[in-house]
Amino acid sequence: MTSGSTAPADAGFFSRAFPHALERPEQTLSLAELAAVPPFAGLAETVLKKIQPYVLPARYLAGETILREGEFSDAAYYVLDGVVEVVLKNLPTHQQTPLQATRSNSRVRSLSERAAELGATAPRQRAIGKPATTSGTIILSDILHEVKLGERVLLEAGEIFGEISALSRYPVSATVQAAAETRCLLVRTPALRILQRSAPKFKEFVDQRYRERALATHMRNVSLFAGCDEQFIARLKERVELVSFEPGALIVEEGSPADSFFLVREGFVKVSARSGAADLALTYLRKGDYFGEAAILLEEPWPFSFTAIESVELVKLPRAAFQEMVAKYPELKRELWTAATDRLETRGRATRHPVESEYLQMAIDTGLIHGESVLMIDLNTCTGCDDCVRACAETHDGVPRFIREGFKFQNWLVPASCYQCTDPVCMIGCPTGAISRPIGTTEVSIDPVSCIGCGNCGRRCPWGNIVSVPFSHPVLKKDIALATKCDLCLGRDRPACVQMCPHGSAIRVSFKDVAAVERLLPALG
Amino acid sequence: MKVARPKRPAWLFTTIAVAAAGILFFVWSGSRRVWSPGDAAGMAFGIAAALLVFVQALYPFRRRFAAYPFGTAQRWLQFHIYGGAVGFVFVLVHEGFRAPAGFLGWALLLLSAWSTATGLAGVWLQKWIPAMISSGLNVLAVFDRIPELVETLRSESATLAAGSSEMFERFYSEEIEPALAGVNTSWDYLLDVQGGRERRLAPFNRMAPFLAETERERLAGLRAIFNEKLELDAQYSLLRILRLWSAVHVPPAVLFVALILYHAGVSLYYWRAP
Repeated sequence: MTSGSTAPADAGFFSRAFPHALERPEQTLSLAELAAVPPFAGLAETVLKKIQPYVLPARYLAGETILREGEFSDAAYYVLDGVVEVVLKNLPTHQQTPLQATRSNSRVRSLSERAAELGATAPRQRAIGKPATTSGTIILSDILHEVKLGERVLLEAGEIFGEISALSRYPVSATVQAAAETRCLLVRTPALRILQRSAPKFKEFVDQRYRERALATHMRNVSLFAGCDEQFIARLKERVELVSFEPGALIVEEGSPADSFFLVREGFVKVSARSGAADLALTYLRKGDYFGEAAILLEEPWPFSFTAIESVELVKLPRAAFQEMVAKYPELKRELWTAATDRLETRGRATRHPVESEYLQMAIDTGLIHGESVLMIDLNTCTGCDDCVRACAETHDGVPRFIREGFKFQNWLVPASCYQCTDPVCMIGCPTGAISRPIGTTEVSIDPVSCIGCGNCGRRCPWGNIVSVPFSHPVLKKDIALATKCDLCLGRDRPACVQMCPHGSAIRVSFKDVAAVERLLPALG
Repeated sequence: MKVARPKRPAWLFTTIAVAAAGILFFVWSGSRRVWSPGDAAGMAFGIAAALLVFVQALYPFRRRFAAYPFGTAQRWLQFHIYGGAVGFVFVLVHEGFRAPAGFLGWALLLLSAWSTATGLAGVWLQKWIPAMISSGLNVLAVFDRIPELVETLRSESATLAAGSSEMFERFYSEEIEPALAGVNTSWDYLLDVQGGRERRLAPFNRMAPFLAETERERLAGLRAIFNEKLELDAQYSLLRILRLWSAVHVPPAVLFVALILYHAGVSLYYWRAP
């Protein structure tokens, strides 16, 4: 196996088949060219210099797909000239987010059934999920316009799309394709973040778009607001402030006066408390979680510190608006009190059992918090028989998707196997859409028929868990190195590595469920 | 060090209960009449023991066919262990807790006892060794790759020692290089996973005062490599014991299954014969 740095097997063939798909030497714009683009006009030269490496021109032929519904994207698109078409085919009423994602609980299928199913279903179809049954107007978070199912919407020069997906890491809500030959500027996520910080007008524009198009949907996806009526949500969303924090930034400090309630829109937030000289990690919050209820309900200073683990986007609700909400919906108060007492209990437990805090800190430091199904091996019971690896190989036509090597923390080994991240960055920019995650499930899988072995996903995986392996390509009838990764053994009732461990040492842990992690790992350790 | 307790206490209690029930039945039945392996009760225990052994013998096949979802391997292993223990008790009950009559009887009894005893020893080893490795060693490697890793360490240490002072080079070639030449196995690690680590690292401490400041850093690097090598030695030795154990357990167990088949065939032949 080699790590994902393989070139496509036949670059000539693929560049003809996918003329603008494969990565090619990227040409950035000069500062003068950048300054001439309307969204960047008036920006300071220092800001332009910072965003320059992340703003790239791209050309699309008529009919070529720019964004695919259901995929993840790391760029906003500014149309320089030409026309793009928004196509809405299959979208549920409310955009689904990974917050509700669980591993698909399908019955066990035979190998022949699986093969037939894989062959019959296009990878994109699987990524999109079930066909929608709705027929009303659908508000797309990424698109400026309201689109009716079956209608075409055209976006012309000067329009921006895709920025909310790129910033919030939600799946793209509609397919966008070039209606005529089109030139776009790809403004990648780092540039978007810089612009959010340094260009107030741009931030105002993006925030307004988010507020108009996505905030209400996102709020409805949070259990806390699920019972609130539309009018109230509409009033609330006008009063919130959208705030951003850089990695490592202190959002609020323990002991400071509490004046706001926060909803996490993107990124991870570490919750910690002082215990003597130590700063104990109590838990972490992710997209859809909220904080601030304890301080406001108790009318006390912040009982915890909150720190941005990575780039964090928050929705800030002023104290008065929060209190109005609690007054209008008394049942929310009970939920908030429960959340507040849970957090205070966690604080007490962490102070008494600092080892739990160590596990959380490890999960934060190593990036495991992104994982929805992380393979962990208990070294106290693992005999090194490698039955897990053999089972993996046998389930995947003789090619294992992991080896029993990785990093060790206390008695746990975390092998180099896909974590099935909440926001799978590996899915960004796959030229053929071979890598996909069916909406509402955990597993991210690669379709070997569509994969062209460009290595894009392997390079993007921050944990090096996607490797290139030589395969005999079923369509091209030749050996090429294709990307492979753990797919949680699609079609089995549980992953083979876990099922075939004779000592029960191999387990799958979802770091989305912090309470379960806190209970499980120290208890077994 | 934390040695795992039974993963499924219910299996343990069920095994004890079933074995105790078998023995109590034998005692009760023996008080009423003379026990014979060939009568209905004796035969029932013999058949039950044989069936248990056959089902246990399927465990290695379950491991081979990992792609099929026939229950978890852990459940199969649990049955292999506890079913084996019950099977042995049933063999003893079948025999009436008496010395067997002929060669085949002795062979079956001894092989049954050997398979059970080595099986239980294996259970202990499979609990003891991982706990030793997990608690006492920091370096973790796949068994088959350890010789290759040791060779890498040897090569790294040679690079580190190259171009050093004469005294350093002599220390390296006389005291360190031979120990890095290959994997050194020892049974001592079974009882002490550290295996006299401090004593073996002591030469580095003795050497340090005689070296210039610039070479002490090099010595520290060499010490880290040597320490890693000792960890790999310990790990290799312990994992090798687990692999050796299967050579002690599996062939007699296979012979035992074969003899049971023969015994069953012969019994059936004479039972049907007029």
